[in-house]
Amino acid sequence: MRDEGPPREPEMPSLEKREWHAGRKPGDRSVRIVRPGASMFRRADGQYIATEQVLEPTGPYGRAWARVRRALVGRPLELGAEEGQRVSPLTGLAVLAPSNVSSSAYATEEMMRALAFGGFAALVLAPPLALAVVAVLALIVVSESRVIRAYPNGGGSYLVARTDLGIGPGLIAAAALLVDYILTVAVSAAAGVIAISSVLPHLAEQRVAIGVGLVALVALTHIRGVREAGLLFAGPTYTYIAAIVALIGVGLARVMSGDVPAAALPQGGAVTPGLEAVGILLLVRAFSAGAVALTGSEAAANVVPAFKAPQERNATVTLVLMTGSLAVMFLGLTFLAVRIGVVPDPAEVESVNSMLARSVFGDGSLGHLVVQLTTAVFLLIAANTGFSGFPRLAAVLANDRFMPRHFADMGSRLSHSFGIIALAVIAGLVIVVFGGSVSALVPLYTIAVFLSFLLSQTGMLRRTLRGRERARPVWLALHALGAAIMAGLVLAIAITRIQQAWFALLLIPLLVGLLYSVRRHYRDVEDALTLPGPAAAIPRLQPPVVIVPVGRLDRAAIQALAFARSISGTVKAVHISTSRETGAEFGRRWARLVPDIPIDLIDSPYRSLLAPLLKYIDAIDKSDDRPITVVIAEFVPRHWWEWLLHSQTATRLKAALLFRPNTIVIDVPYHFEDTADLARRR
Amino acid sequence: MQLKRILVAVAGTSVDPDVIRLAVSLAKPAKAEIMAVHVIEVRWNLPLDAVLEPELDHGEELLANAAKVAEQAGLRIETELLQAREAAAAIIDTARERAADLVMLGMPYRTRLGRVHVGKTVQNVYVGAPCAVLAYRQEAPQ
Repeated sequence: MRDEGPPREPEMPSLEKREWHAGRKPGDRSVRIVRPGASMFRRADGQYIATEQVLEPTGPYGRAWARVRRALVGRPLELGAEEGQRVSPLTGLAVLAPSNVSSSAYATEEMMRALAFGGFAALVLAPPLALAVVAVLALIVVSESRVIRAYPNGGGSYLVARTDLGIGPGLIAAAALLVDYILTVAVSAAAGVIAISSVLPHLAEQRVAIGVGLVALVALTHIRGVREAGLLFAGPTYTYIAAIVALIGVGLARVMSGDVPAAALPQGGAVTPGLEAVGILLLVRAFSAGAVALTGSEAAANVVPAFKAPQERNATVTLVLMTGSLAVMFLGLTFLAVRIGVVPDPAEVESVNSMLARSVFGDGSLGHLVVQLTTAVFLLIAANTGFSGFPRLAAVLANDRFMPRHFADMGSRLSHSFGIIALAVIAGLVIVVFGGSVSALVPLYTIAVFLSFLLSQTGMLRRTLRGRERARPVWLALHALGAAIMAGLVLAIAITRIQQAWFALLLIPLLVGLLYSVRRHYRDVEDALTLPGPAAAIPRLQPPVVIVPVGRLDRAAIQALAFARSISGTVKAVHISTSRETGAEFGRRWARLVPDIPIDLIDSPYRSLLAPLLKYIDAIDKSDDRPITVVIAEFVPRHWWEWLLHSQTATRLKAALLFRPNTIVIDVPYHFEDTADLARRR
Repeated sequence: MQLKRILVAVAGTSVDPDVIRLAVSLAKPAKAEIMAVHVIEVRWNLPLDAVLEPELDHGEELLANAAKVAEQAGLRIETELLQAREAAAAIIDTARERAADLVMLGMPYRTRLGRVHVGKTVQNVYVGAPCAVLAYRQEAPQ
């Protein structure tokens, strides 16, 4: 083939240009492949891949912000690096356990407090009740591990309920989980503030600010990636577990050796027993209070994709490790508290665990201090669970079009940063609205968790009914029992704590309605945008009627007019003047300088520019069938602060025309650096 | 010899990184520029400017790797991708056009009939280049 040389027709613009070079000899021609953006767009498999360099800002402010962002959040990660962001069971435990395991810090106390209404003698019922709670926990673990296997893409209760029960129950589960996560974050941040202010009381006044700050801190670590958050929070998690296990170990050793420690009395003051009869209602109330230990165990099933392969196995291992350590701690603490004779402090100044530590290790001992400190730090980071669960659930919901699409997008660090920020903002608002005292919201989120468990148990029951797996009757019985217990717990809380739970009962349906309406919107948009047929050709449009509003006859206006003329033969200029004399003067200048483009001069005695212009466009639109295109000349100053010196008429006009149907708005920017060399541009 | 511009031909062999590092070590003290060139040889049955997707991908990858090696060695280099019927002619023309003082090529250790084989590109550049040529032969395997 002879090398003819470059093609004659104008070349299609491309990221790659071919320049022909004649060699010294006739056969030595070569083609140089010029790639102006080679560092920005890498070639691979016939496609271009945007490199990290495209993210580099060009201006000094952009660069400074990028540096700050990089220091806070870290370098952007490539999509392929996702595997590196996945976690092992041990790291996963640090991220997921806080909400679940931290309930060991108060589950015993809540249960004993409810029992104390029946007098001190009723407290002996605490260990059997704790055993019952642990039995339910075991049931949930078995059932959740089945959820993990059945739904390896995460989503937990939402997906189970949605797939096996229908969209409505699925959304109720989703709404309940979202409420749970938001409140986990708000409540744990508030608990963290209380833990801090009990050591440094003068900080109590700033509790709202500290709470919001804590939420922001945990959010930031999660934006950096789940793995980094896990590594950061692994220390406090494992120290807390070790401290509590040590407390139980030493306590049990002393009890078994016959050296039963004397019960420490609350620092708050004397304790008076309740006088209520020990009836079924008291037991139900105590059980539902202790069942707070079940919260957080739904987290593993929601975030299965965050684990390293084999994901299902690792998620299940984490679930078992998490709930196993919780069960040991809960049972151990309850048994010790009852055996030693610790009673809950009615003034709620000192926790049962603190009193236990004082009894076992001694007043003012190092052991007591360590238990208190690790508990405080651990409660502080319990927000972790919310931050790992909410963004992933929101992403699953966004993929199903029940939440705005940005929730499904991955940020530069491969975390769902929009969900993380949204959660931080909402939780921050909850803290601000409730003035940093959100302990009243605890029943609200327990009811939400039990509701989601109820739906996932019912969903799994239905799934098992339809399936043909081995040991079907066993699973049927298990899920039926689980569903019955959860229904009972939801009812028990709704009845016994209606003063607090009404908020959840109101909030969840509201959220469900909101999720539905988001989906309806997306469906409408999809209907409006879907191609009418498989072979939808691009329609041929007739050239539009172009209107060019001109304020001044300057270089920017000339450039806009030149562009307008390049897209259509019907170009009309319009000038709005505030006095008849200036209008007439403008008309004379126009006739002299731009004689070939017609202009309409409009005098606006009320000095309004936009209103007459919009009405003029309406009138032209009515008189002509062709589409209307408004070409706006816009001067762009060199620096952002110079914007303040200009009237922004172009910006206001663009904003006003944005929602006008059948109107194309084209902005022709004229930069300060531009020369008036229009001929070169053409 | 005062070096100002070194042209390194990157062929995609195992010796490329060594040649780039050697070029950087020569260029740094002389404050010379380096330009890495990869030539896609287009068969005669195709137009010279044919879009050869796999070759373009490969060439770009080679040049990106060369730039990375040079950057690790402490110098930013320019890269150029060419299409020609014969690599040697394109390398010679580019050297002349860019006024290179030195053309560097790498030769992987290959033998034919018991003798070290020098490929035709190296031979032709040796013969035709207007400037100095340095061919770096890989050491013989132990």
